[in-house]
Amino acid sequence: MGKWTRRAFIGAGVAAGGALVVGIAVRPGNPIDRLSPLVAKGKGEQLINAWVKIDADNIVTAIVPHVEMGQGIFTSLAQMLADELDADWSKVRILEAPADDKYVSHDIVREFAAPNLEVPAILEPTASGSFLSLATVMTLQITGGSFSIRGTGQRAMRTAGAAAREMLVAAAAKEWNVRAAELRTENSMVLHDKSSKSATFASFATAAAEQSLPAKPKLKSPKDYKLMGKPIARTDIPEKTDGSAIFGIDADLPGMKYAAVKAPPVVGAAVETMDATTAKTMPGVLQILNMGDFVAVVADGYWQAEQALATIDTTYSKTDGDGLDQDALFARYAKMLDEAGDSDGDVEAEEGDVGEAFANAATKVEAEYKVPFLAHATMEPMNCTAWVREGKCDVWSGTQMPLMARKAAAETSGIDYDNVTYHNAYLGGGFGRRAEMDMIIMATRIAKATQYPVKMIWSREEDTMQDHYRPSATSRFQGGLDKDGKAVSWSNIHTHLFDPQEAPTVPYYNIANHKIRKIDVPTHLRFGPWRSVDHSQHGFFIESFVDEMAQAAGKDGYAFRRELLAGSPRHLKVLDTAAKMSGWDKPLPEGHGRGIAFVPSFGTIIAEVAEVDMTGKKPKVKKIFVAADPGFAVNPDGFAAQMESSIAYGLTATLFGEISVKDGAVQQSNFHDYPILRINEMPDVAVEIINGDHKRLGGAGEPGLPPLAPAVTNAIFAATGKRVRELPLSKVDFA
Amino acid sequence: MKAVFRASALVLVITLAACGSDPAPEPTEQIVVREPGADASEASDTTAPEPAGEATASLVAAGKSAFNTCIACHVLEKGGANRIGPNLYGIIGQAAGSADGFKYSDAMASSGITWTKEELDSYLANPAAKVPGTTMMAGAISDAGQREAIIAYIEDASAN
Repeated sequence: MGKWTRRAFIGAGVAAGGALVVGIAVRPGNPIDRLSPLVAKGKGEQLINAWVKIDADNIVTAIVPHVEMGQGIFTSLAQMLADELDADWSKVRILEAPADDKYVSHDIVREFAAPNLEVPAILEPTASGSFLSLATVMTLQITGGSFSIRGTGQRAMRTAGAAAREMLVAAAAKEWNVRAAELRTENSMVLHDKSSKSATFASFATAAAEQSLPAKPKLKSPKDYKLMGKPIARTDIPEKTDGSAIFGIDADLPGMKYAAVKAPPVVGAAVETMDATTAKTMPGVLQILNMGDFVAVVADGYWQAEQALATIDTTYSKTDGDGLDQDALFARYAKMLDEAGDSDGDVEAEEGDVGEAFANAATKVEAEYKVPFLAHATMEPMNCTAWVREGKCDVWSGTQMPLMARKAAAETSGIDYDNVTYHNAYLGGGFGRRAEMDMIIMATRIAKATQYPVKMIWSREEDTMQDHYRPSATSRFQGGLDKDGKAVSWSNIHTHLFDPQEAPTVPYYNIANHKIRKIDVPTHLRFGPWRSVDHSQHGFFIESFVDEMAQAAGKDGYAFRRELLAGSPRHLKVLDTAAKMSGWDKPLPEGHGRGIAFVPSFGTIIAEVAEVDMTGKKPKVKKIFVAADPGFAVNPDGFAAQMESSIAYGLTATLFGEISVKDGAVQQSNFHDYPILRINEMPDVAVEIINGDHKRLGGAGEPGLPPLAPAVTNAIFAATGKRVRELPLSKVDFA
Repeated sequence: MKAVFRASALVLVITLAACGSDPAPEPTEQIVVREPGADASEASDTTAPEPAGEATASLVAAGKSAFNTCIACHVLEKGGANRIGPNLYGIIGQAAGSADGFKYSDAMASSGITWTKEELDSYLANPAAKVPGTTMMAGAISDAGQREAIIAYIEDASAN
């Protein structure tokens, strides 16, 4: 991350009203002649990202290029900028960046396009240049991948704050005719102790903009942090508590009408016939649309639209998915895994010779695990409001990808990109669902047909049945142990790979011989990122199998993992902390059990211990102990909240989460058959944060989830001796 | 409320899909039962009826609804707190930049405008053109009828 400043240049200017605006100009840069052919020509200055402004009232506004979906990111990113600036937190305001290409999240492209990219320093400008170009092409402005703090915050918000501070100091030094080194900053003031002079940032804002731009603004070391590392209250909580917060579904326009929609139950089918005889006569109905891939009713009110929609008879075209049931789908996975045998499939990681090591192993362990499709079930159902008229298009929603939404609206409406405005609001839950564009495209198509503003809202049933699901998946393992119970081989083949690429791999475990493969299994359901993405299933697969190997080795799950992590002190510290928090060695009452799981993901190392009560008919998860090393937690309270919410979300999936298909259609439709964890089912959660490396930050939004399911099922094994190899637990008979 | 004639017949419009491979296909079938303007007041009237025959009341009601786009930033009540934008209570007839305690842009504070209905109308039509440098980023209302309604509502609410 320290390399950032070599290719970042600071840009500044004075905006209307005397505000100092500091931004970072990111250029592909190419100081080395022999590399020039590798850099795309004619790029020049690509992006000017303005992230901080200071107005005449000494109010500092942090402009945040990410969306707020309950994860508290507005507060944490502003904290990072304000700390480097030495701003008075009570005078800091936060503004969400507009859906504009200037706010492209280039960092996220870099991380996602080449997650393990380690290029020699000499190549950095080239790598950077090409990824910036990619970012521009893809029109990204993503909030996802647990990336905002470790990417945008660490590389951009802090740099912008530090640069603004240095420019203000330089301006003050000039005006007071003192050396800059004699000045200090505090609470949005510049102070000269020798002469007892002090003045607000605002009084130097204009002069600061004329200062030369610091090429390498000095970032604080942790001992000087004033805001970072503090549990500062989230700025979005009051308005979410009193109900004044505006979400996408709250969009309200003069003359706006409402649309209810229904898509064919089998994804991929087309609407062949539509009988709207009754719907046409129903109150409030304005238009009935057969869009080919869905039916829409537009009415004065949403209820009227829904009621009319329910009366419409439709027939759908036949598709390949029509006859498919969930059992047949798992049978298809099994058949393809059988066919892949010991050598086919795509190799994702390989070291040593697993074939030989497994053949010679003293103890052999084999297991197969399965997980179902999962829906996102955001509290706010999918919705979008669009208005297409006279060469202009405006779209309102809450999305994780505002720029992509703008682009989708432009392409769908056929209106020039520059005349399309995308208005983003708070997201009532994202979890990856709002990284999809289907709701934007559908609403824009409806509004294009009506030419007046329309708010499209999906019913909960549509939301559940037309999701982009976490894939159902099967994973098979073979593990070998030597005569001392030491793991010597690890072989895995599984269905599907979406993202991140490293999710199925275990580079942190010392197993000399390992081979990990995947096969692609076509299904007609749409896949989408679901909180922690592929780590959600692989966390369960990997950590269940590690536990089975420990059992076969006759070892305790915690002790066995300690062996696997030998030589990795940072990893061991996390594992040890979780064990210590849980009182791992202390006995539990009869019928209770503890399980441990360890999954590093999204740059954060996490171990969780679950304590489960199996004395009743159903598992009761009593406690979860989380030890996490995110490098450095910028807002520890926000970080802990993300751990707690990951546990609520992950436990929902572990206990009941299941989307299944019958005759090609999703069987579940609402919360009665796709339940969400209730408050009485929520375990006590204890979180301990380890700030292990302040230079390499990890994410918070997702990494708390992957260890949860295996910690719970390993605890069930400890309590009952019953090994759970298929989720959710509601399918398992514990009688 | 005013008597409104319902559109007498269902209007049926059938459009053929242009092309199956279009990423954003238009409707294969579009049944227009009614245009929104045709009986909007009848359809949306679920609250107490207005006094009959009062065009102004109808305009104010329309303005109240249209003002929903403004309430994210403005309140319209006596003594109400300024939000992102100033309180608009009693703005008609006032000099620009005179709401108590609101930090106006220099452009607005020095505009010299007195907010007659006509001035408000031209400002709302295109704020950035009328007062270059204004911090009112949203709020351009291209529909003259809507501007008239909003201004009528502001005037009416300020009189209460």
